[in-house]
Amino acid sequence: MVEDTDMKEVEKVAKKPAAKPAESVPEPDLSVLLKRNVSLIEKAVNSKEPRLMGRVLRQTGVFRKKLTAEKIEAFVKSTLPEGVVMKPFLLDSLSSEGSGMQVDVPSSGKEATFLPETEIYACLVVILYLIDQKHYEKAKAVTTAAVQRLDTFNRRSLDLLAARVYFYLSWSHECLNTLDEIRSKLLALHRTATLHHDNIGQEMLLNLLLRNYLHYNLYDLAEKLRSKTELPESRSNQQYCRYLHYLGRIRAIQLEYTDAKECLIQASRKAPQAALGFRIVVHKWLALVRLLLGEIPERTMFRQKGLEKALEPYFYITQAVRIGDLNAFRAAVDKYQSVFQTDKTMNLITRLRKNVIRTGLRRINLAYSCISMTDIAAKLGLGLTDDVESIVAKAIRDGAIDATLDHPNRCMYSKDQVDVYSSQEPQGAFHARISFCLDTYNEAVTAMRFPPDAHKKGLESAEARKERQQQEQELAQHIAEEEEEEEEDF
Amino acid sequence: MDLVQSVVPILDSFKAAFNSGDVQKAKSLLSSLKVKLTEFTSLPPFFEDTPTAPKELMIAREVLEHAVLLSVKLEDQAMFERQFAQLKTFYTDTRHLLPASQQEYPIMGLNFLRLLVQNRTAEFHTEMELLSQESLQNVYIKHAIALEQFLMEGAYNKVIAARRDVPAESYNYFMDLLMTTVRDEVAASCEKAYPTLSVASAKEMMSFDSESDLMEYAEERGWVVADGCLKFLVDVNQELTSKDIQSTHLINQMLSYAKELERIV
Repeated sequence: MVEDTDMKEVEKVAKKPAAKPAESVPEPDLSVLLKRNVSLIEKAVNSKEPRLMGRVLRQTGVFRKKLTAEKIEAFVKSTLPEGVVMKPFLLDSLSSEGSGMQVDVPSSGKEATFLPETEIYACLVVILYLIDQKHYEKAKAVTTAAVQRLDTFNRRSLDLLAARVYFYLSWSHECLNTLDEIRSKLLALHRTATLHHDNIGQEMLLNLLLRNYLHYNLYDLAEKLRSKTELPESRSNQQYCRYLHYLGRIRAIQLEYTDAKECLIQASRKAPQAALGFRIVVHKWLALVRLLLGEIPERTMFRQKGLEKALEPYFYITQAVRIGDLNAFRAAVDKYQSVFQTDKTMNLITRLRKNVIRTGLRRINLAYSCISMTDIAAKLGLGLTDDVESIVAKAIRDGAIDATLDHPNRCMYSKDQVDVYSSQEPQGAFHARISFCLDTYNEAVTAMRFPPDAHKKGLESAEARKERQQQEQELAQHIAEEEEEEEEDF
Repeated sequence: MDLVQSVVPILDSFKAAFNSGDVQKAKSLLSSLKVKLTEFTSLPPFFEDTPTAPKELMIAREVLEHAVLLSVKLEDQAMFERQFAQLKTFYTDTRHLLPASQQEYPIMGLNFLRLLVQNRTAEFHTEMELLSQESLQNVYIKHAIALEQFLMEGAYNKVIAARRDVPAESYNYFMDLLMTTVRDEVAASCEKAYPTLSVASAKEMMSFDSESDLMEYAEERGWVVADGCLKFLVDVNQELTSKDIQSTHLINQMLSYAKELERIV
């Protein structure tokens, strides 16, 4: 249940930057905004431009907090013509919410141009309102009905809205703690989305399924699903980010720490600053994975704005591992046990015991040229003395320390340290950095968007130049919007 | 009801054969029982809600539990894996339909041991995530999980100690297998950590019964015995070969840089 709160936090934080500019300008009435969105939807469907649909969802996010039952009721009544399947249902779910005031709005005669997209959009607005008001039972009913309704359509222009509806379906179930009920439904939807080449739905549903499995600790099933599905070519940053987070967690459980670290690092880098809850979860896992790899995360990681408090338990664990003190480690584990249990990281923490011993041994190895087993046991805080020897022997075998043992005298002799710069290590570190830079560059190139017909602009007149400047301005606007979108979507 | 009634006598004779140690008879009865079980419609994955459902589920679970234990007696790991996979759904999906089985934790613990013996640590940890904090405290589960930690740390003496106090008799088979693994691990550690080691202490560390056993083992691993001491050979060759690999590796890296740079410029 940790992630519930995280996601809520995310939503809360994500709203802030978006709401600010809206407040400075006198805000048009809510019904006007809703109307404007409906016409945008129509435009999007007619021009087959999914980007416009994205704008609709973004704007909905902006006025989301201002939604009231009456306003939505009026909106639903005026926009949806009689005979639309969802209309009575939506009104019904709202009716007990509002004051019961009947706003009589003349029907605006939309029947001729009525689109299913508008219907689903109306559903989405209602769902948003219900979830914000914490009426999860009702939200669940509405989303379930909306998903049923969506099954009857096969329109690509619905994909974006449908994906949102799926998200809220899963979200309302998660809030009610009934996620296992919808698993087979989600699987069926994912199958359909894949067959329809519905990339947006595919990504969303895959992530929802992974989340669903991980919620019940079904790492086995999650990995099986993940390895048997393909990620669609065109992916949105947010969904990919989530996917990396889930993958990182699966890998960490499977003891593939290097892979896990890579995924989690990417996820933390791709996540927008505003998605605080998400970043907290990723950083918690990242800290543990790095510790398990024998690395010590930098102090700055725990000092990031907004994360200090949440990462505090992990900071103490890191400290204990860094100095290799088993007693401090035990104390930290005992103190924050409940935190780790809710974070579902308790088992990873128990795995860390070995690393604490290893780092402790390494320090002893560096400091002493000869030390007795009893002293090692005392320094590490280990219990029985007869175990120490085999533990040290294993550490030598795994290459953690460079030393020899003397059994009759029960002593450890450290070997002289080899100069790191005579080994391959610097080269390895250098290679890791270079390949990271090259990867980043390549990803940046593939992520770039090129305006159509840009190559034809070689010969342009004065008039054409004017046009081009205008186009460039538009492009800049688009990019600005895109950035906004990414923050929003988290 | 007839169906259930027809299975009960077979189940009884199967259990009798199992308890008396007649494994071959139990094995043949098990296959006939399994055929009968396919006729029960309330079993996973159908979960049909028939009036006899709880009884059918109980019988099926009992059959599979005994099948798992039988496979341990037969020392058949593949069979164990198969039967356990079937049984697992009963423990996860019928929790709300049936009272918990007494055999549940011992069998889960056995499965953990099997994964440990087969060195499938990734699966070991995936299975472990499924258990709640309370079940992790259960004596059978705790035993297996503690073993895994000892092995990771290198506290082999504790593993050997754990061999002596197993929570159930059925654990012996896997524990014995684990002992050979532990011996190999200890031997590998000794090779690296000690320049020489007296025969007596080596015998004690690797828990050999007699010196002749140790000598045989030493020969297998290519250790030299002189003056009552084992001498471990230091692998000198390894360093030389690693240098050879390095150059091709380096060439590959440089070529990939060149390729990437060419793309950028």
